[in-house]
Amino acid sequence: MIDTNIVDRTTVEGNRFDPARARGRGTTDLVRSFRTAAALGWKMEANWTDPLLFFIYSVAKPVASALILVFMLQVIAGPSGIALRPFVIVGSALWSFVVSGVAGLAWAVLDDRERYRMLKYIYVSPSSFLTILIGRGVARLAVGAMGAGITLAVGVVVLGVPFEPLAVNWPLLVIVLVMGVVTISALALVMAAICLQTRQESWDYPEVVVGALFLVVGAVFPLSVLPLPLQVFGLISPLTWWIAGVRQALFPGGPSSIGGPGSLWQQLSGQLNPSAVQVVIALLVSGAIVTLASAILFRAGEARAKDRGLIDRTTGS
Amino acid sequence: MSGSIQAPAIDARGITRVYKAKPTDVTALAGIDLEVAPGEFFGLLGPNGAGKTTLIKILTTLLLPSSGSARIFGFDVATETKKIRRIMNMVAGGEQSGYGILEAREQLWMFSQFYGLGAREGWRRVDELIDAVGLGEQRNQRVSTLSTGQRQKMNFARGLLNDPWVFFLDEPTLGLDVSAARSVRELMVGWRAAVPGRTVLLTTHYMAEADELCERIAIVDRGRILAIGSPAELKRRVQRESIFRLELDRLSGGPGGLARLPGVISAVAAIDATKDGEAPTRQTVVINLVLREDSALAGVVAALDGLGAHIVALAKSEPSLEDVFVELVGRGFEEDDRDEADPMRRAGPADRAPVEPHEAGQPDPGEEV
Amino acid sequence: MAAPGVVQPTPGPVTAPGLRVFVGRPTASPQEAANWTRRQVWANNLHSIVGRAYPRVRGLTREPSWLVFQMLLPFLTTSSFVFVYRALDAPPAYIGFVVIGGAMTAFWLNVVWMMAAQLYWEKDQGNLELYFAAPMNVMSVLVGMAVGGLVMSSTRAISIMFIATVVFGVSFSISQWALLIAVFVLTLAALYGFGMMLASLFVMWGREAFHLTQLMTEPVYFVSGLNFPVGRLGFIGALAIALIPLAVGLDAMRQLAFVSTGPTGTPEPWVEALILVAMTAIFIGLARWLLHSMEERARREGRLTVRWR
Repeated sequence: MIDTNIVDRTTVEGNRFDPARARGRGTTDLVRSFRTAAALGWKMEANWTDPLLFFIYSVAKPVASALILVFMLQVIAGPSGIALRPFVIVGSALWSFVVSGVAGLAWAVLDDRERYRMLKYIYVSPSSFLTILIGRGVARLAVGAMGAGITLAVGVVVLGVPFEPLAVNWPLLVIVLVMGVVTISALALVMAAICLQTRQESWDYPEVVVGALFLVVGAVFPLSVLPLPLQVFGLISPLTWWIAGVRQALFPGGPSSIGGPGSLWQQLSGQLNPSAVQVVIALLVSGAIVTLASAILFRAGEARAKDRGLIDRTTGS
Repeated sequence: MSGSIQAPAIDARGITRVYKAKPTDVTALAGIDLEVAPGEFFGLLGPNGAGKTTLIKILTTLLLPSSGSARIFGFDVATETKKIRRIMNMVAGGEQSGYGILEAREQLWMFSQFYGLGAREGWRRVDELIDAVGLGEQRNQRVSTLSTGQRQKMNFARGLLNDPWVFFLDEPTLGLDVSAARSVRELMVGWRAAVPGRTVLLTTHYMAEADELCERIAIVDRGRILAIGSPAELKRRVQRESIFRLELDRLSGGPGGLARLPGVISAVAAIDATKDGEAPTRQTVVINLVLREDSALAGVVAALDGLGAHIVALAKSEPSLEDVFVELVGRGFEEDDRDEADPMRRAGPADRAPVEPHEAGQPDPGEEV
Repeated sequence: MAAPGVVQPTPGPVTAPGLRVFVGRPTASPQEAANWTRRQVWANNLHSIVGRAYPRVRGLTREPSWLVFQMLLPFLTTSSFVFVYRALDAPPAYIGFVVIGGAMTAFWLNVVWMMAAQLYWEKDQGNLELYFAAPMNVMSVLVGMAVGGLVMSSTRAISIMFIATVVFGVSFSISQWALLIAVFVLTLAALYGFGMMLASLFVMWGREAFHLTQLMTEPVYFVSGLNFPVGRLGFIGALAIALIPLAVGLDAMRQLAFVSTGPTGTPEPWVEALILVAMTAIFIGLARWLLHSMEERARREGRLTVRWR
């Protein structure tokens, strides 16, 4: 008995192949692929025999990152460093989110290629490879978001960070968070494209790359501390504007990572600190450029991998 | 000959292996008794899930039996693992092991170090084996770029690095094309010819491979040995009649007269028309004869001669090892694969046909070889 | 030898004269082949160390991306923490602390990713069963991995130390060179002994272990005082010094490299050196025992091979 649900999408007239069979269903396919990949990613991330361990893992890493910086402050500045805690804790929490998001897609490529040997099957399926990768990365983004949120909460509850919910600029927060997620996903795509070219030992490449970016985005110290050439990198990075925007939204009036006396921003704009509108516009422009560039780089990386037969290889030492 | 009796190459007694699983434990081996003489090419033939790989893993010291004992040239697989690992090697089919970043030659050299060869000795041996297995052109190619057949040749070379006294081959031609599979089989045969006295235990579910290579075969199903013997002995179990196919240029009067000859059980005729290019169609008469024994054929040939028929072709049909399996178990290998997918069929031994293992033609332990 | 570009036909089946090459080391009987002398056993294990280190060392030259990802970018990460201290106007010695911490991170990450998780990956790839089916002691494989990993991570550590020292003008005040070198060597021995111990555990713990490696980065950096003196952590710091080779090694090296910073509230370097000796002995001893237990358990439960990931 033929399943008519299957035949419904197949038109076979007199045993001739119907080209309509090869047409996709556009957005419907994309959404389905994304949902399926996201569900798979979540199942893999949440595949723990002990939920407590999962929670600890999700929280311990970002909280520890924040504590490292808090103690560095404590060691040098002593009690007077407490005023800088919100600055470093917000930056550290957001940065753990970045690490998580960027690593997610790259590790999905390495996992699927090296361990599960499924990458080639995903690649030759009619679903969009890009969509599936992004879907797979969403789970780790969610885990990272959870970790970041808990780190901020620990900062407020345990480490004495002064937080006024009524003072938060919520519209700014929502806007910059959404734009930030897009930017982080774009960076993650670039890392995924790199990992398509490299061998198994590149598990730590995403963290290393993000660790390097950590230098120039004003995550835990203001850009003004850096030499001017490095400040340029900072100002053109969308992550810098994203972190500054979140800080400005959560702690209006607090110290800015971009501006400040003697900063390149002040020299260029004449203003001490950027306004919320300026932050949003800069984030939008730099984010759009980075997103476009990452899409191009991803396609180029994918083409190179296909050309050299890297998609189904396994490596290891 | 010194007169001392050498220990069997493989001596397994009462081997069982149970895996803990949910909802019920899985019995992979349910009492295996097996003895392989030194220098023998022995085959384990059975469908997927029969327990062949589990048995090999026990014999290669990777797995402990749940009960029973096994020895390799007298060394216990449970307690004398190091000694066994020095005198055996194993190659499995479908292996993806290895480091893709290394060249084939380097990969083999690394394993030569694991098997006790010195650094220089290892390179020399690797180069010899690479040429011997026909991988000369690929010696400096990265493992990740080797084809499946080339990789398996490399694995085979790895298996020979330490001149094993017992060579375990677990479905070594799995996934290989016809040409690559033939190359691997030729290597097996060539190695044994070059180094007499070495023992091979081959597991496979390719009947033709077992038939071609093995001196003795054990047919395994669901953790038990159903029969042991040479391929010919096993086939004789199921072939009670002689079956012949004759092709004649003509047959007047039909096959009825043939069926009434002494020793003929049945004779069925059919017209076979073949067109050979532009030439006119050629018609022959094909007779499928079932005789009580081969000697009855002489009477049939004489009768055909008397009828003026000329025999164009004559062939004898032999049962296959799958016929033997079907005879023993009541189902074929393909049915078994389908049953694997049916959870109701994987219930356990309750539905298995009761068959006593038959060790046709096995030499007595005290017999000199 | 064929001219370049000329493809020789694939050789046919092996013929009789070529079959001789199948005979490598003739032995009269399997008993003779199985009974090795002690010297042969030791030689086998030593050769196996070299054999297993080989892919890692060779891999360095075959995929040059590590030059960027293992040298340049980690230097930038370390620089971030240097700038944090500069933003706080910290004493110059603290810059040196961060530089040494950054260099030692290379070894720690190598231990966590390329040692602890490695046997788990080997099982995935099907190499683990081949190792256990071979006659050498699998500890040799772990030691070989450690040696190869040391080569990999040393390049990273040296580059960070050198570049950071030059770029940030770090000045060391070392009075006990011999002790500093000894502490460094002992720290590596303890670190890789720790990694060997974890390797066996991770094979048995499976995917949980893989997640646990995540816990062994920032949380361990924190309790080890990667970027600040561990003595500031009080009891937690003391516990770390007692248990984590990275913590005790870092603290000892900092005390020896920056003598002028004064007391740190932690044990003297020679005491910490003894702690490292004890750690090395304990971790390597535990690694041997765990490897043996793991193998026995894996053989009993059938975990040396994986049929499904």
